[in-house]
Amino acid sequence: MRLSASAIALVVGLMLNPGAHASELPQRWVSAGGALSEWVTALGGESKLVGVDTTSQHPASLKALPSVGYQRQLSAEGILSLRPQVLVGTEEMGPPPVLAQIRNAGVQVEMFSAQPDLPTLKGNLEHLGRLLGSEAKAHALFTAYEQALDRQKRWVATAQATHKAPGVLMLLGNAGGKPLIAGKDTAADWMLRQAGGRNLATHSGYKPFSMESLAGLSPEVLVFADRALTGEAARAALFKENPILASTPAAKQARVFEVDPTLLVGGLGPRLPQSLVQLSAGFYPPQATSAP
Amino acid sequence: MSTLVKPRTLFIGLTLLCVLAIWLSLALGPVSLPLLDTLRAALRLMGVPIEASGLEQAELILGQIRLPRTLLGLAVGGVLALSGVAMQGLFRNPLADPGLVGVSSGAALGAAFAIVGGSFLGGLPEVFGPYLLSLCAFLGGLGVTALVYRLGRRNGQTHVATMLLAGIALTALASSAVGLFTYLADDATLRTLTFWNLGSLNGASYSRLWPLLLVSAGVALWLPRRAKALNALLLGESEAAHLGVDVERLKRELVFCTALGVGAAVAAAGMIGFVGLVVPHLVRLLAGPDHRVLLPASVLAGASLLLLADLVARLALAPAELPIGIVTALIGAPFFLYLLLRGRA
Repeated sequence: MRLSASAIALVVGLMLNPGAHASELPQRWVSAGGALSEWVTALGGESKLVGVDTTSQHPASLKALPSVGYQRQLSAEGILSLRPQVLVGTEEMGPPPVLAQIRNAGVQVEMFSAQPDLPTLKGNLEHLGRLLGSEAKAHALFTAYEQALDRQKRWVATAQATHKAPGVLMLLGNAGGKPLIAGKDTAADWMLRQAGGRNLATHSGYKPFSMESLAGLSPEVLVFADRALTGEAARAALFKENPILASTPAAKQARVFEVDPTLLVGGLGPRLPQSLVQLSAGFYPPQATSAP
Repeated sequence: MSTLVKPRTLFIGLTLLCVLAIWLSLALGPVSLPLLDTLRAALRLMGVPIEASGLEQAELILGQIRLPRTLLGLAVGGVLALSGVAMQGLFRNPLADPGLVGVSSGAALGAAFAIVGGSFLGGLPEVFGPYLLSLCAFLGGLGVTALVYRLGRRNGQTHVATMLLAGIALTALASSAVGLFTYLADDATLRTLTFWNLGSLNGASYSRLWPLLLVSAGVALWLPRRAKALNALLLGESEAAHLGVDVERLKRELVFCTALGVGAAVAAAGMIGFVGLVVPHLVRLLAGPDHRVLLPASVLAGASLLLLADLVARLALAPAELPIGIVTALIGAPFFLYLLLRGRA
């Protein structure tokens, strides 16, 4: 009797447990961070999002959600009006008094690091996985990501064994005008290196550059990220606003490539490996070696 | 000069407007609370013992978010408008605003130093960190104003015209220093700086509120006592002196009160433009240039208008928020233009 009672308790417990566990997990999420929102979506949590910040642009379906504004300028009452159970964001999220108010209102506030490196991503994904109840998926996603970056690294090593790394400049601009050049200690610099390029800029951060000194560096490849335009329109605007760029080796050999500027903020995002593959293919043209 | 409304009517109207603005500021927000809950929570916050069941959310929103924000708006709006009156009185020019003596640009410089430099300093103690920005903005405003005042003094006399020009020069100097910090800043810090320059009452908390409340109460109690002297100053400096006003002392007080008041307001809420310029104008338009009316009426009008502007700021894009400086400039700039064109016609 006693045995069967405990057996029933055990079975009931096992049956109830996943349900009980799931109900403790936050079901209403606000995400303030572009890459984080993408990962939440990749982990199957998109339906739980009730609001995102202005840096959350991918996937496009997120734009339909209520916007809580810029991640560093959140409004306590605005966010509370969405009745979230958890607010996730990077360490850039703020201002701190607002976060304290949100915490006091009983909303779980979870901070993630936006550091662009794999150990950070691993920690972030595990953390998100726990919060979403999809640890296994988080683990699988990270493993795949790690493998993709690893493949990338090997491909770049092979390519560099036979070819010199091209000198690259990354231009960040708005409709072509006065671009900022990505220097050291930026996500852009990390991307260029991962793709096998050699960043010709030696300053740190994103800085305006005189076009003359830019042309003087003779970049073999130009990579641009435009916040307003995409594709050919952005390329045309860039050369129209900065005619001197046309004299660079990169322009003469038509080695001018585009990356999505949203890849450069908020840490490593899920779309990054694919962009790196595309960039690498541009850095080391097909006749030289096959794409990774 | 005839006035549109009698002082008595004006005060009654402005008091009603202020009470209305306070009530709206407490009752409206992105979280929609039932009116009854708001009322009961407000009564509970005032210490009336009411049964608390089901009131937790209303009390939290009201007590922790809307009330400090409303108090901040009242103090900032009031003190900015008051400083505007002080400056327009000092320069005897209705187009003067508190920025003329360099307090705004000094505060901006202090803030830029704190926002950009703060990340270099890095290892500040936790307790100090959150207040660094406010402290630097306050000290920057005070410092530049003191310098402007010092430059305007010669042979024991303050030359208002020299002070005005010194203010312009130091403002330019301060903006170039802010520009340098902007150049050094990374993307994220840059946006913080930009938002700070547009002001916000967002994230008000009691711990940051007290210094400002004390300062603005002090300024609001002190300046109206000098109303008669300010009236005399309208006639001209030597005329005021003949009427028995210690003009040097008055000028010193006006500059000091403005630096202190605007410095504290900017430290708490960032740069909020046009209130100091437009509100005194508005009141003068309604009730004439008598400082005995102008000073207290501007406090009420400034406080009410800032609260109403904040209401727009927090509701227009909810759940996101508009920087309040955008709203005040959006209302203030066309009004200013209207004043200019009206004078010409």
